[in-house]
Amino acid sequence: MTTALTLPLRRLATIAAAALLSVPAFVGQAQAEEDEIRIGILAPLTGPLASPGQEMVWGHEMFWEQKGHTVAGRDVRLVIADTACNPDQAITQARRLVDQEEVHTIIGPLCGHEGPAVAQVGRETGLPILLDPAGADEITKWTRVPSVVRTALSASQIGHPFGDYLYNELGLRSATFIGQDYTFGHEVTLGAIQTFTELGGEVDELIWTPIGTTDYGPVIAGVPSDSEAVAVTIVGADRVRLFDAWFDFGMDHRHDIIGTYWLQEDALPQVDDRAVGLISNSLNYVAGIETPENEAFVEAYAEAHNRIPSWFAESGYTASLWAHDAIEAIDGDIEDREAFLDAVRSVEIDAPRGPLRLDEYDNPIQNVYVSEVQKRDHPVLGEILMNVPVKTYEGVSQFWTWDPEEFLERGPYER
Amino acid sequence: MPERGALTLIFVAALVATVPLFAGDFWVSLTIKILVLGLLALSVDLLLGHAGLLSLCHAAFFAMSAYTVAILQVRYGVPMLIAVPAGLAMGTLLALVFGVSVRTRGVYFILVTIALGFIVWGVTYRWASFTGGDNGITNVPYPAIGDFQITSMTAYFYVVLLVVLGCVLAYRTLVRSPFGLVLRGLKSSESRMRSLGYSPLRHLYVAFVLSGFMASLAGVLYIYFNRFVNPATAHFHISVEAVLMAILGGTGTILGPFLGSVVIMVLRNWVSGFFPYYMTLMGLVFIVTVLFAPNGIIGLVNSWRARRARRAKTTDAVGTEPEAQPRPQP
Amino acid sequence: MSFIIQTINGLSLAALLFLLSAGFTLTFGLMRVVNLAHGALYLIGGYVGLSVVWTTDNFWLGIVAGGFFVVVLAALIDRFLIRPTGENHLAQVLLTVGVAIVIADIALAIWGGDNLRVPTPEMLRGPIFLPGDIIYPRYRFVLILFGLAAAVIMWVLYRRTQIGAIVRAGVDDREMASALGININLLFALVFAVGAFLAGVAGVVGGAFLTLYPGVEWEILILALVVVIVGGLGSLEGAIVGSVIVGLIDAYGRWLMPEMSYFVIFAPMAVLLLVRPTGIFGQEH
Repeated sequence: MTTALTLPLRRLATIAAAALLSVPAFVGQAQAEEDEIRIGILAPLTGPLASPGQEMVWGHEMFWEQKGHTVAGRDVRLVIADTACNPDQAITQARRLVDQEEVHTIIGPLCGHEGPAVAQVGRETGLPILLDPAGADEITKWTRVPSVVRTALSASQIGHPFGDYLYNELGLRSATFIGQDYTFGHEVTLGAIQTFTELGGEVDELIWTPIGTTDYGPVIAGVPSDSEAVAVTIVGADRVRLFDAWFDFGMDHRHDIIGTYWLQEDALPQVDDRAVGLISNSLNYVAGIETPENEAFVEAYAEAHNRIPSWFAESGYTASLWAHDAIEAIDGDIEDREAFLDAVRSVEIDAPRGPLRLDEYDNPIQNVYVSEVQKRDHPVLGEILMNVPVKTYEGVSQFWTWDPEEFLERGPYER
Repeated sequence: MPERGALTLIFVAALVATVPLFAGDFWVSLTIKILVLGLLALSVDLLLGHAGLLSLCHAAFFAMSAYTVAILQVRYGVPMLIAVPAGLAMGTLLALVFGVSVRTRGVYFILVTIALGFIVWGVTYRWASFTGGDNGITNVPYPAIGDFQITSMTAYFYVVLLVVLGCVLAYRTLVRSPFGLVLRGLKSSESRMRSLGYSPLRHLYVAFVLSGFMASLAGVLYIYFNRFVNPATAHFHISVEAVLMAILGGTGTILGPFLGSVVIMVLRNWVSGFFPYYMTLMGLVFIVTVLFAPNGIIGLVNSWRARRARRAKTTDAVGTEPEAQPRPQP
Repeated sequence: MSFIIQTINGLSLAALLFLLSAGFTLTFGLMRVVNLAHGALYLIGGYVGLSVVWTTDNFWLGIVAGGFFVVVLAALIDRFLIRPTGENHLAQVLLTVGVAIVIADIALAIWGGDNLRVPTPEMLRGPIFLPGDIIYPRYRFVLILFGLAAAVIMWVLYRRTQIGAIVRAGVDDREMASALGININLLFALVFAVGAFLAGVAGVVGGAFLTLYPGVEWEILILALVVVIVGGLGSLEGAIVGSVIVGLIDAYGRWLMPEMSYFVIFAPMAVLLLVRPTGIFGQEH
């Protein structure tokens, strides 16, 4: 495998180049041009979520390269800041972007718990913030901020259709749920359970497992032996650990495993062919969506980065697309914050993941795809595993089919 | 010149006070952060630099007071005048409990405090219905007494500066008092102090609680600055960073922890903006400091000044006199 | 039956923890060095092993390469960075944290932030079927045997050989050992190399079921710290017993009270330390 060997070497060369390049970047930093539009990007580039953070940045960069870094006749510059997935650093970086870099808008952050922290900077400064892709439900429900809109998803938004899928499509009447024990995991898992039980399904067992669980042996040993199916919401390094433990313990002979949020595209290279045929995710984007917009996007991304995009990459790309279309709608006058926010709220977007628009609570109404892992022969990457939609829920609202007022009354999903 | 050190501190504080005059909100906010975390590092250094105990659980006190204030204000609408003393009390209470760790010494003390710190982090993370879990608690109100509210970053900056200055002067008095002498005596030889009739346990316990109180105070300043708190505030990494600040700046000094705070905060929050390998740079700073300035930045400055004023009989240290580190030859 | 599976689970984690903590504890016992970069050595050993496995398709070669790479790296760190600090623990804390940060940041730049798994050979994949209808991952079963073998070999070397006696003499009283004409520097280098080798091996072996990613260096270091605290710093027996205790507590804890998973390890440790500060086998240093 020559690619495997050259990969580290190529990265090493880019480090050296980047280190050299960053010196003039620093020197030239002060010369902010009058007419340019500056978009701040908050993403984790160090720490455990460095890889999704990098994909998100690649998504933004790819979009603006395709547009020649201009919109409505004005130049666009991206100012990228590392949050390290730490809310404290995120809030300081957000303040730096507002105050020092004088950005016109901020897109980010990635980690769920950074969301509320960054939204608070929006409240303090009035700067328009496109929250993307941090999923914390509360931002577009109970603790809304006038200048903060969401362009990615609310965590429970992807959970609700999945409960329906389990009951109506898979015909399950009971299931065990394993959820990652933090806010995003609670909201996705409990969202799925909400719709599943409302339809009449029963929860055999609900197992919470902390992020960074080293050993999934004890966790899956807790699945009741008569439980037909196990629905999992697992993030980060835990995804691969669960996958291995599942098959190595022979659990595949006893239960079906179904991913509510599990094997995204960035994890697929680390699992093997045993993944083929598994339901992997219920998400607003998977790389296998068969539309011309998406195929072009996946192609370009694969060419540039030698991998298929995960939803983080698409989320970055689309957030930039959203900002672009909104700026165009107001003829480039992004300095008028109210007008910009109104434009973001009113434009309708044709993204790789499908049509998008905001609801009255500033959260996108969008398709949710339940996907299956399939083996594909990719023209650039060769034989790879890919997530392909098997069921599309169109135009899903963050409130699913409930009345928003009623949903808000019910309160957040908490374990 | 007994008061020269105090004058130096006030002079430095006056210099810092000019920051808002020429810098924007970002730098003002970064300076607040430097001061608050510097105060946390100073509280760690009361144990480290004077009593020779390296604590890795101070984020627990810091977070305890911050969480107490946040929960009281946001959940129960308790006014600041009650929330702040409650926060300080809870942080100090925690220090009273964790203080039993002074029964151990050396590496074992380090390890016990790591364990204790992780328990508090686990609570903030796990007890989501009360602490907000991973999302933490946001939208803590601006500090307000009655109708008087501080909403501007600059105004809050001066509040922080005054509190930190007051705290630093009190700290200075403390470490120069007989109590401070006993602590340093314990650091160099516990058996000698015991034979002189001092109770090591009692003195170290009191030092631990005082140090916890200071960390709680830093936590209160922090919560009204960030106006949100989440489990990252209680994490081991914050405790480690506070210790690194103290060692980097120079242990046993007053300005040292703050200088260490400047270096780490600027690297993390400003240099990161244009230099993607800032973490490598941070690591290299630690390594170089140990190899070439083992007594920290203050130690480096002092030895440079000592060399320059070789003929003078006494040398003026910046802040209080740094403790020489016993350095056996390799 | 759950009980048996959970016990095996605990033992497999214990095997990994032993590989990691043996080096840490002996280095401390002999050289009084608190090496907080031990987790970073695990990380870089795992990554180097991973690249070797990618290139050669040979898992065993990966293990050896990971181990030896870390020996060389650790020797350089020891010679040029740690030695000059003497026995200044404070300096060592700052220094080794610095080293860990640099190693992790370079690793991030080279291998990226993905969760990379070290591929295992076909013969170690899939489940094995134990008596009593117990299905267990083959890899982790082999890992237990591997850890056990490492522990036995180390223990025999430590307790039953000339060289072990010298090391123990060095741990107990360094000046005395030195006065008896033992080449203390050679001894240090030897023990240090063994410890580093085990850390690198642990990285590859652990990377095959825990995956490698930025931040794992601290997660794994904390677990290793708990092991040496419980077992007692500087004691090989302590590392063995500590690994088993921590591995088992972790497995039973997750099984019986998953809600409490953070307290399950740390709270008993804090209590143990307050009662017996030196750990189970430790002695005052």
